[in-house]
Amino acid sequence: MPALPEADTRRAAAPRVDSHGVSHVGKVRARNEDRFAIVALHHAARLLQSNLEDGGVLERLARPMAHVFIVADGVSGLAAGDEASGLAVGTMLEYLSEAANCYQGTDAALEQEFIDRLTAGVERAHGRLVETYGAGRGPATTMTMVTLVWPRAYVVQIGDSRGYFLRQGRIRQFTSDQTMGDLLVDIGSVTEEQAVRRGLYDTLSSAIGSDIAPAVGVVDLEPGDALLLCTDGLTKHVADARVAELLAAARDAESACTALVDDALEEGGRDNVTVVVARFVA
Amino acid sequence: MIQKKVCMVGVQGTGKTSMVKRFVHSLFSEKYHSTVGVKIDRKVVPVDGAEVTLLLWDIEGRSEESEVPTSYTRGAHAVLYVADGTRRTTFEQLSSLRELVRSTVGDVPSLVALNKADLAEEWALTPSDEASLAGAGVHHVRTSAKSGAGVEDAFHWLAKEVLRAGAARS
Repeated sequence: MPALPEADTRRAAAPRVDSHGVSHVGKVRARNEDRFAIVALHHAARLLQSNLEDGGVLERLARPMAHVFIVADGVSGLAAGDEASGLAVGTMLEYLSEAANCYQGTDAALEQEFIDRLTAGVERAHGRLVETYGAGRGPATTMTMVTLVWPRAYVVQIGDSRGYFLRQGRIRQFTSDQTMGDLLVDIGSVTEEQAVRRGLYDTLSSAIGSDIAPAVGVVDLEPGDALLLCTDGLTKHVADARVAELLAAARDAESACTALVDDALEEGGRDNVTVVVARFVA
Repeated sequence: MIQKKVCMVGVQGTGKTSMVKRFVHSLFSEKYHSTVGVKIDRKVVPVDGAEVTLLLWDIEGRSEESEVPTSYTRGAHAVLYVADGTRRTTFEQLSSLRELVRSTVGDVPSLVALNKADLAEEWALTPSDEASLAGAGVHHVRTSAKSGAGVEDAFHWLAKEVLRAGAARS
């Protein structure tokens, strides 16, 4: 394993991660086609014996070197939406474990290689779905994934499952919904009213198993921040301001998830709802 | 394949995202979305018979230049600074912004895009402003993400300079 002092320093300062996820079928749908996963990736090396004076080495090796948070929403109305979302999450986790050695450094070239691998993972999941069901004929899914190598969150997103972070009471969405409504309003082809009337916000412009245009990005987090990934079963019912309020008020990630899902259900629960919350405890 | 990281840097609302969207997707959006963190896009650019992939890091702007997050610029091979030609303050903020970024990335090829050139009636810069950039040895281009004017030129110039800088170092 290469020696990477800068990365080690950053990890030594990493706060404790309190994370939790909840997925609920909702009040209307018969099946839950959402999937999620939270993963802590650890060093392959374990210090068995040493006379090092730096006791911090032990602590750093014991800490996860990265966390992965994923949500995926199988497209309803198509067969096996749950299989699509499950396959996408499973494939990404499998792919990440193969690419694990990529994010041990802070070298810019290695960082770019890791980012490239994230999109390659999406392409692999897409390829598997197409291989299984045929191009354009099978199920599809959204997927929003954050790989956190503290303090940097690497984001890859397909579809309309969202990512937010809460900092000092202010919530910010770092993903952009990939729907036909957003796309066509953006380029001025239709107005927002027309997009709503025609149901264009309910049609994805990018989905694994259909057409993929992964959006890739980076966000640097700070101690005290809270991260939220969610499917649209939350955001179609609960406004951003209310989400911020619930995240800020929660005593831990689990109670934040429960509060968010309860709110979505109280507001109608028309869709499956999945939330993943991570709090970075200073 | 040669890959080079190019950072888009500027205060809020100068049109960094629109420039990337125009260059990569040939699209322009009238709707303003502020970037959160960094959006990463890529485009292959032919340069003197070779091909270079530009990895475009579109970094969120802030209202004050001192608040623009420079941690994202680490490892950049080039920087494209964007100012809004209709807002004079964004031009005035360039100098300290460039100093700030240079302290992180060092002397890498850079260019200043004076964007929104299609808004001729609202243009707030004088010929002497542009002359001052030239006088300081800063390459600059008037661009319009809306019409596309100057956008390709800006990115191609940077791609060429990045390759030249790489060749000079090797």
